[in-house]
Amino acid sequence: MPQPADERLIAYLDGELDGAERREVEAWLAGDPAMRERMAELAATAALVRLAFDDVMHEPIPERLLAAARGETAPAGAGARVLPFQPRGTPAPTMPARRRRLMAPLAAALFGLLLGAGAGFYGAGGFADHTAEQSAIETAANDLWLDNAAGYFKLYQSAGDSGLIDVPATQDTRAALQKISQNLPAEVRLPNLKPWGLTFRGARLVVVGGRPAAQLVYTSTNKAIGDLNLIIGSSKQPDIPPTFARRQQVNLLYWRHQGRSYVLAGQADIGYLWGIANDIAWQLDAI
Amino acid sequence: MNRRFSDQLVAVLPRLRRFARGLTGSIVDADDLVQAACERALARQHQFQEGTRFDSWMFRIVQTLWIDQLRSREVRKEGEEIAEDRVGSDLPVRRIEARLGLEEVHRAVGRLPPDQRAVLLLVTVDGLSYKEAAQVIGVPIGTIMSRLARARLALQSQLAAGCGSAGRAEDAAAR
Repeated sequence: MPQPADERLIAYLDGELDGAERREVEAWLAGDPAMRERMAELAATAALVRLAFDDVMHEPIPERLLAAARGETAPAGAGARVLPFQPRGTPAPTMPARRRRLMAPLAAALFGLLLGAGAGFYGAGGFADHTAEQSAIETAANDLWLDNAAGYFKLYQSAGDSGLIDVPATQDTRAALQKISQNLPAEVRLPNLKPWGLTFRGARLVVVGGRPAAQLVYTSTNKAIGDLNLIIGSSKQPDIPPTFARRQQVNLLYWRHQGRSYVLAGQADIGYLWGIANDIAWQLDAI
Repeated sequence: MNRRFSDQLVAVLPRLRRFARGLTGSIVDADDLVQAACERALARQHQFQEGTRFDSWMFRIVQTLWIDQLRSREVRKEGEEIAEDRVGSDLPVRRIEARLGLEEVHRAVGRLPPDQRAVLLLVTVDGLSYKEAAQVIGVPIGTIMSRLARARLALQSQLAAGCGSAGRAEDAAAR
């Protein structure tokens, strides 16, 4: 069986292969760490590109464009004045020059990360008729967020520790989390879940719902709980209470509190997730 | 004026702006392009077929206008000669960390050849399927796949290389 070409790897990430082709790529991925790494690079690049253009969706629509869409501009023929293409003006402030690891999903597990269409609804705010639009926006954003969280959980499940952890638990955990927190709006603290038989394995910086987030990875020998991820990000949406969802065969308990979004992702049933979420909330004062 | 048509147009404006921003690399040029697309759409609204995707139709108009502008001005494709030698290079994953320098990502996208840039924006940024992107651009799906692959590999190489001296110094310090 020949090694899949890059085109097929990318089509796989984009969810564009049929069942047989997908299985063939997955067979390669299972036995080829280098290919998994390559897939992760490709997915990371795609996530970065989406993130880079996300801001446009949040900008208010210029009045002249709204007028043009309503047919209120000059008659056809006058057209829009199109200026010569020019280099960008003052560059937007960039993130600190520190290098950050943005390992991203490698498999079909990660198709949620590639749901650009969901993000496509973000910026519709500012319309006259807000209610339905806003509801659609929030639903799309929520779906993207949860799909991303499930995708990252499945990525870790597929790849294990092999290179995916930015900050292994063997290091000074506090210092490590501070480092990851530098990429986030607020410091991330580590809940102690040992009473649940969960061992902290490390943390990664990821992109969830188009925003940077911390993925805290826990493993367990308790089969009833299994491995668990806690993904902490930022959010401008209103607080919501813990809510159960299931995406890509992953159980999710998610909530938002005071500008932060939380997702517990794993195979544990809802009872365990509730208990663990309550414990996290108590420790982090998150709910 | 068909009110429903206009409402659809308003609803798709954010995505058109994002697409145009990626194509042109400029806020002003992008909004001019979207404005021109709105005017053309309204002038030709009778050509839109109900039951087909309105967003795809609008993307196609934006793309067509942009190509027309490129041709009329004989704007050279900045990125045509770059990255080909890098495509397929097997840089380690560390190089793709790319430090979330989003402006750098914008620049890298802007250096892609126009045909690759358009496919990347439609599929990777806006989430269109390959089939939908093929309809927008008017090429076969196989062409979409190859353009997208070239774009993604070129970007990956550029962003990896863009880690720059700071990254290399940090690497050295870590050794």
